[in-house]
Parts: sequence; C-alpha cells; structure tokens
Amino acid sequence: MKTDNQRAWLLVLPVLVLVAFSAVIPLMTVVNYSVQDTFGNNQFFWAGLEWFRDQLHSERMWDALWRQLAFSGIILAIEVPLGVFVALNMPKKGVWASVVLVLMSLPLLIPWNVVGTIWQIFGRSDIGLLGYTLDQLGVDYNYTQGFYSAWATVIAMDVWHWTSLVALLAYAGLQSIPDAYYQAARIDQASRWAVFRYIELPKMRGVLTIAILLRFMDSFKIYTEPFVLTGGGPGNSTTFLSIDLVKMALGQFDLGPAAAFSLMYFLVIMVISYVFYIVMTNLDKEDGQ
Amino acid sequence: MSTSDTDQKVSHGHTGFFATLVALWLVVGAVILYFAMAASGEDQAIQWTQSLNPGGWMAWVLPTALFFWIVAGILVVFTILAIRYPETPKLGVLGIETTRGDRLFISLLIAGFVNLAWLGLDLGPQYLALVVSFVIAGGVFRYA
Repeated sequence: MKTDNQRAWLLVLPVLVLVAFSAVIPLMTVVNYSVQDTFGNNQFFWAGLEWFRDQLHSERMWDALWRQLAFSGIILAIEVPLGVFVALNMPKKGVWASVVLVLMSLPLLIPWNVVGTIWQIFGRSDIGLLGYTLDQLGVDYNYTQGFYSAWATVIAMDVWHWTSLVALLAYAGLQSIPDAYYQAARIDQASRWAVFRYIELPKMRGVLTIAILLRFMDSFKIYTEPFVLTGGGPGNSTTFLSIDLVKMALGQFDLGPAAAFSLMYFLVIMVISYVFYIVMTNLDKEDGQ
Repeated sequence: MSTSDTDQKVSHGHTGFFATLVALWLVVGAVILYFAMAASGEDQAIQWTQSLNPGGWMAWVLPTALFFWIVAGILVVFTILAIRYPETPKLGVLGIETTRGDRLFISLLIAGFVNLAWLGLDLGPQYLALVVSFVIAGGVFRYA
C-alpha cells in the first residue's frame, strides 16, 4: 500500500531554507536589480529592459563572451586528448597505480587562488622557474604585458590544474573494461589503434561526456585563477565573463547592467546544466539496462 | 505510524497538500497586492515602476514581483498535475524522454532566449516575444 506521510516535508525544510538564502533570494534580487538603476543608498529607479538592451548591444560583453568560448574551446581541445593519453599510460594495478593516482589528484586538491599564485610566481622572470628559463632562452615571455604570454599561461595553468580530472575519469572508464575484451582483441590480432578505437573509446564514452561537460561548465565560469594570475589583463585580453561581471558590478558599481549580464550568463549555464542532467540520466538508464 | 492513520491519509488523497500549496500562493499574492496598494498612494493608480519596499535592499517592483508570482503559480499547477495525473515520459523530436515538467522547463528556457534575441536583434515590441514564446511552448508541449 502506498503511504502518504506529509511529515517527510519537515526533513526537506532545512535544505529549502538553505537554498532560499543561498540561491533563490539572491537570484530574485538580481532580477529586481536588472530592471532598475541605483546610485547607492538602496534607492532604485525604474529602467525597464534598458540594461538588457544595453548589454546585448555591448561590444564589451560580446568580446568577453568570445574570449570565454575561445578559452573553453582551447582547454577542452587540450585537456580531453591529453587526459585520455595519460589515462592510457597509467599503470593498471600494483603499487604504482596507487602512487600515480595520488599524484594525479594532487592538483585537484589545491585551492584555486593558490593555483593562481603558484603560476603567478612560476611565470615571473626574476624568481619564477618558468619565466626565468624562458627569459634565459631568449623567449619574449611576460604574462603581465604580452597577449600571447598571458593566454599561454592561463591555458597552461588550467591544463595543469584540470587534466588530472579528465585523466582520472578516463582511467575509471578504462578500469571497468573486462580483460576478456583485450583477450578477444589479441586473438583477432587487433592493432593498438583498433583496440583504442573499438574497445577503449566506446567504453569511455560515458565518462568522457561527463568530463567534457564538467570541464566546459567549470571553464565557462572560471574566475579565481585568471583573476589572481593576470587580473584580466593585459588590457582586457584575459577578461573572461565572470571577471568582466565582477569588474562591472563591484568595480564600477553598475548593479543594473551587471544584473542583466549575470542573468544572461545564468541562462547559458542553465542550458549547459540541463544538457548535463539529461546526459547523466540517460547514462544511468543505459547502465541500468 | 498506525495502519488506520495511514488509511486516513490515503483516503484524504493529496487535497490537503494541494490546498496548502494554493493557499501559500494566494497568501504571497495578497502580500504583493498589499504592497502594491500601499505604493499606489492617494490617486489609487497602479504604480508599475515605484519601489514596493522603498529603501529595502531587495528592491522589489511590481513587474518582477508579478513575474515571480506567476512562475510560482505555474510551478504549483504543474506540481498538482504531476501528482494528480502522473505520466510516463515520452520520446519526442528532441530525442530525449520528457515529462510535462521537462517540457515546461525547456519552454521557459527557450522563452528566456527568445526574449533576449528579440531585444538584442531589435525585432519590435517586447510583448510579441512573449507571443512567440507561447507558440514555441505550444510546439514543445505537443512535439518534444
């Protein structure tokens, strides 16, 4: 018999309160700010859809968006193949498997602002190993002044920080392949490429989809690392969406435009999250069959 | 919980829960109405652009309050529908299994993008974007 006990709602109440204060109330406030103008002192003046129109026609916003997409595209193009390559070469069992696993997860455990600081020092030409070496080799490298240096450093930093995640996920996918598959491949004298293409890649499809979506979502929201490393510079060359947003909201105190901006940002993140959710549930269903 | 207690709850169905939801929604509506009337001043005209809580950091105005109230109302209706008339997810043109709630979510997301596109491409008065969103939502509910 189906029981129907409304008292269970009380158990969800703490979560509801928490979500209300951490998400719903701030979101409502942002919606309110996005249609108004303020000069501080909690005095607001109606602006209608002006800020949305403003932001949609703002070159600065579109520039930040393209930079963001370029960044996410580049790091995905590097991290996913590299992560798979690393996973394929990780020891499958024994002591070294554990050692490598621990080493691989180290970058993931470091707080984001520390990652930024590490790379900031690493890239300095006076005391940083990377910066000093490149300087001695005669490479014109300066991440605070050069566009390409700044981008290369930001990307290298993200690759260093997050390739492990892709590698660990891919490794988990590889570990779940039964030995019988490889034995069959050996009997058929399948080439290394064929084994990868027809056994390992299909078996990693699920985890790789998760890895790509996770990395895309995270890189699309990236703030701390480039903020610590370059502060969005030189000029605006590494000003990604969230950095631009914070500059607008807190630096210039343009709450209205920033609110409109963040709502559009939020919509995009919602779509990505929804796709993520759909993919995850479909994968679960496939596993269940 | 005793068996008789359980029986009683089942015979009541979900009416109590539904009534609570609707009542909560109506209370919120009454609160909005109260603030709107307080803001309307002496001439009793609806103040669409005046602050509902002057000096408050949440900066409520009537349009946003009504927006959230209507969204909440839609959620209440769909919650009641989902419990009263449960459905099996169906496979539509999007290639994914969707329930009524999924189709609502997709419609709302599309409505957001349609409205932004309308504004960004200067396609005309904004209410037309709402009309387009409704047409698309109809399509989503029918075919997705």
